[in-house]
Amino acid sequence: MADETPLLDELEKGPWPSYVTEIKRMAKKNAAAKDLLGIQEQSYKDRVTHWKHGGIVGVTGYGAGVIGRYCDSPEKFPDAASFHTMRINQPAGWFYTTKSLRTICDIWEKYGSGMTNFHGSTGDIILLGTTTENLQPCFDTLTEAGFDLGGSGSALRTPAGCVGQARCEWSNIDTLGLIHDLTMEFQDEIHRPRWPYKFKIKASGCPNDCVAAIARADFTIIGTWRDALRIDQAAVQEYVKKGLDIQELVVRRCPSEALVWDAKTQELKLLVDDCVRCMHCINVMPKAVRPGIEKGATILVGGKAPIIKGAYLSWVLVPFMKVEPPYDEMKDLLRKIWEWWDENGRTRERLAELIERLGFKTFLREMGLKPVPQMVKYPRSNPYVFFDR
Amino acid sequence: MAEVTDELKEKVIKYLETVPHAKNRDVARALGDEKALVDKAIAALAKEDKIEYIYLGASFVKLKGKKMVD
Repeated sequence: MADETPLLDELEKGPWPSYVTEIKRMAKKNAAAKDLLGIQEQSYKDRVTHWKHGGIVGVTGYGAGVIGRYCDSPEKFPDAASFHTMRINQPAGWFYTTKSLRTICDIWEKYGSGMTNFHGSTGDIILLGTTTENLQPCFDTLTEAGFDLGGSGSALRTPAGCVGQARCEWSNIDTLGLIHDLTMEFQDEIHRPRWPYKFKIKASGCPNDCVAAIARADFTIIGTWRDALRIDQAAVQEYVKKGLDIQELVVRRCPSEALVWDAKTQELKLLVDDCVRCMHCINVMPKAVRPGIEKGATILVGGKAPIIKGAYLSWVLVPFMKVEPPYDEMKDLLRKIWEWWDENGRTRERLAELIERLGFKTFLREMGLKPVPQMVKYPRSNPYVFFDR
Repeated sequence: MAEVTDELKEKVIKYLETVPHAKNRDVARALGDEKALVDKAIAALAKEDKIEYIYLGASFVKLKGKKMVD
């Protein structure tokens, strides 16, 4: 138990919100929160963590959704000797009613520390700190209220996507419908870890990629269009009248030089084959430029943060796929990827690392996909090319 | 895909008696059964509370109550 926390108090200084202040508020009514402050103060003093991670924690039938945390000094901090995290599957797009938020908070005040994190980096609701004894009753109460655990461990992590067409005019796909469908389809993959390591699916409705799917998912879905940008020339001229320097701010900044500005006719022209659908022109002139009509998604693979090897950005696997219920093409591809990875991956090896170890050519052959130029990750540096035949 | 039988579940339990913990894939390879079917059998055994999942840097399965080995 800690009454004095001089090192943590430093984190309350400055104009920004402080999580220490929030834990102190909770510590007035929750003993575990008070010990949590003590553990962290001790860690800052000793410059070493006092948490142990992993082991056996869970609820019956599940191998995911609970992350075990044990303090290595239970005699000093008995009220936070076990302080497990529960991950709760968020609704697609993170839309809640106030009633459902109150329900979650009431359950968590009864069974846990009362402290939450909306949301964790995978997207789940994070309920911070409960005891081993309280896990099962808490889970039972949550499921009665319509909630379920999210993914953790060597499992499919809770799929997540941007708010999509619910709030954004640029979304080329229904990310909410897709994420909900994938979540329901792959419940077993989320709750019962069976793979070499974690696997993440994230979807963004357009290449602005507001949920950073390209950097954070093994299987990245980015809404796009197959035909050409739609340009409203009258709206373009309105922008010109209002002083927008189209040549400088739009044409010159097009990364693939796919736009041409004819100052004489005041016309913005598109070189369709050169457009990489980056959204820059749309972002600058949203009233004049729109995505095309034939919409779908680009599927990329391999994004991850560094653990065994360094961080990877996803790269293109399928340049264009229609994204419509029941999403069979996407689900078939996912199952094929999992089967190959599960068969060949080493423990803790992510998909990108396996592809790098065995070669993209092997991966494509196993997936039954033909190589196309969009898959090129970076220009080759080896001048020697050996053809199979 | 074939259905999970009591015989397969029994084989999984027998194998897990011989190891501290295992990945699903190791169980499937040891038994010579299809991985997807073994996944289903392990899920069924977890629901029956006969096996449990553990996390040791990655996820493994072990017999419920069996002593953990790091």
